[in-house]
Amino acid sequence: MILAGGFWDASIGRLGRPADTRERVTANMHLYAVLPRVLDLARLDDAATGIARDMDVSIAFAVRGGPYVALDFKRGSGGARRTGLADVVLFFPSCRHLNRMFGGEKATPIPLWGLHRFRDLQRFTKLSDRLTQYLKPSDDDMADPCFRKRHVELSLLVGLAACREVADLDPRAQRVATALHDGTIQYSVGEEGPHVTAKVEHGTISVAPGRVPDPTTTIALRDLDFAVALIRGEVDTFAASGLGDIRLSGDLALADKFNHLFDRVGLYLK
Amino acid sequence: MALYKFDKSLALFERACKVIPGGIPGHTSPAFAVAGSYPYFAASGRGCRYKDVDGNEYIDFMAAYGPVVLGYNDPVVDAAAARQREAGSLFNHPTARSVELAERMVALVPGMGWAVFARNGSDVTSYAVQVAREHTQRRKILMIKGAYHGVQAWCRDGTGGLIPEDYEHVHAFAWNDATQAADLVGKHAGDVACIIVTPFHHPAFGDQVLPAPGFFADLRRICDEGGIALVLDDVRGGFRLSMHGSHAYFGFRPDLTCYCKAIANGYTLSACLGTDAYKGAASRVFFTGSYFGGAVEMAAALANLDELEKRGAVPHMMAMGTMLQKGLADLAAARGLQVAISGPPTIPYMRFANERNFRRMQRFSGEAARRGVILHPHHNWFLIAAHQEADIRLTLEVADKCFEIVKKEFGG
Ligand SMILES: Cc1ncc(COP(=O)(O)O)c(C=O)c1O
Repeated sequence: MILAGGFWDASIGRLGRPADTRERVTANMHLYAVLPRVLDLARLDDAATGIARDMDVSIAFAVRGGPYVALDFKRGSGGARRTGLADVVLFFPSCRHLNRMFGGEKATPIPLWGLHRFRDLQRFTKLSDRLTQYLKPSDDDMADPCFRKRHVELSLLVGLAACREVADLDPRAQRVATALHDGTIQYSVGEEGPHVTAKVEHGTISVAPGRVPDPTTTIALRDLDFAVALIRGEVDTFAASGLGDIRLSGDLALADKFNHLFDRVGLYLK
Repeated sequence: MALYKFDKSLALFERACKVIPGGIPGHTSPAFAVAGSYPYFAASGRGCRYKDVDGNEYIDFMAAYGPVVLGYNDPVVDAAAARQREAGSLFNHPTARSVELAERMVALVPGMGWAVFARNGSDVTSYAVQVAREHTQRRKILMIKGAYHGVQAWCRDGTGGLIPEDYEHVHAFAWNDATQAADLVGKHAGDVACIIVTPFHHPAFGDQVLPAPGFFADLRRICDEGGIALVLDDVRGGFRLSMHGSHAYFGFRPDLTCYCKAIANGYTLSACLGTDAYKGAASRVFFTGSYFGGAVEMAAALANLDELEKRGAVPHMMAMGTMLQKGLADLAAARGLQVAISGPPTIPYMRFANERNFRRMQRFSGEAARRGVILHPHHNWFLIAAHQEADIRLTLEVADKCFEIVKKEFGG
């Protein structure tokens, strides 16, 4: 049985060395913030939609001493979960190993079982390659406005989802994390979007595409160009708020706390 | 009236962003107010009014976040400062002003036997904590959840530049919950150096809460029983509730107390006062700074304290604050709006009672600023002794217009 909370999920508290903590936080981000975006991709990108439509499989990533995620593909719809069984299980001997693979280095998973679903694995590989292209785009890709918009949406979803891992695991963020109060923060880019909403409920952060009625906090980014710069970490957010490139309204205390978490995501995810 | 514009503020801010991180760092960052509907840079002031760089004039209820207590450019305080400036301010030695001011404050504030001076509130709150640690030879600091004591690492929230070890020995309990404080003292038995509190709870983005009956008495008892220092951070409340410190107003007895904001009418000064029992420890904590001896600021403080007394500033601000609070509440009610106003009349905080996300309040404040009244959307306000009834009446006229806008836009 592959279940989170046991072998896979060694408590961060027991990881003394900063380097171990770093690998662990990064691994969590890869599995919980980056990987589930293949499901968003299936919504946004026609080629990905076509691939996902043919998939009826659950694929799990299990990291020794680290996180576990199972992605369910149900012929076009799906979801990610942190516990439970899967048809295919890919095993990583360490967080570092997983992170090296996500970093594009030569590191492959050990398939524990489910290899007979090799066709689904091939499809999954295609999806994840496409996701990589969106998250680490070339200049040519970014010249296409549709691509840019998807890049921004996927990157915002990754960044906000990664805030949860910062809040849960990053020792330097604990003071902010414990003070985090419930609410919804809606990020919008221009009039046309994309729009992405992060929700804090009982201290736990979740993200979803789209708007919500009456968000606690609204963070409106000027346009796609500005959003791209923000994602690349090139923006002084305080300056941008004063200049009107970022328009903040609603509960700014929540925005401020989130900003602290968001700032730290870039220390783990490049 | 034509609504204010902020073109010069914005142009200056663009310049600022090139050479100053964030453009305007800290609590005056436009990110914390209503960016675009608020001035960014000030130019001049007198009494309870100031002008921004666009030439817009405001009736002010922020008082530079507290320090301006008599009024901007008060002639009496400025004359005292000018006289001292002629003689000189900073030397190889302190001047007689430091002794005079220490004598003045010790005489003014009940229970206190000594005073030291510094520049900012953070200087003295952190010093007070060190004195408590030195006196008790213990490590732990107990503070109120959500309280602000300055920018030093031990009491900061956020993440920038902080490591968990910075606040490893700092533990928080809820305002008005002496039982929680006692539990923490029990948990860290023999290791608690101090409990640091403000005279009332004044978090940003939240209602202010006065001390419940018996809260300070309970803390005093816990401290006495445990050999713990009770530190009062009166940086914000000091000289706006009572000329004798806010512990005199609420009737309790701290061991150490910190002042800053209303001490010198905008001149840069802060003070830590303590009881005789803490004087030895105070002398063993090395505490100094290039400008700690500045005599102009001390001369200003001496004049300011005299003037506050002479003009009956505290009761006057209480009366004006009460008029403002009542006026706002009546106007809001007349338009079918619900406002919650909390805190003492001299340091009020307002929000719309039926929202948690401040949108009505941001609209209200932004519209007020564009009509010449500064009422912060998320931070408590400060009364100024220079406020007169006519200023409050004008403010209420503007507020009524802003309530009308809120009503129209939000319906209630
Ligand atoms: C209660 C309290 N303590 C300490 C401080 C810190 O003072 P300063 O900003 O002068 O360092 C403040 C400032 O707002 C305050 O309100």
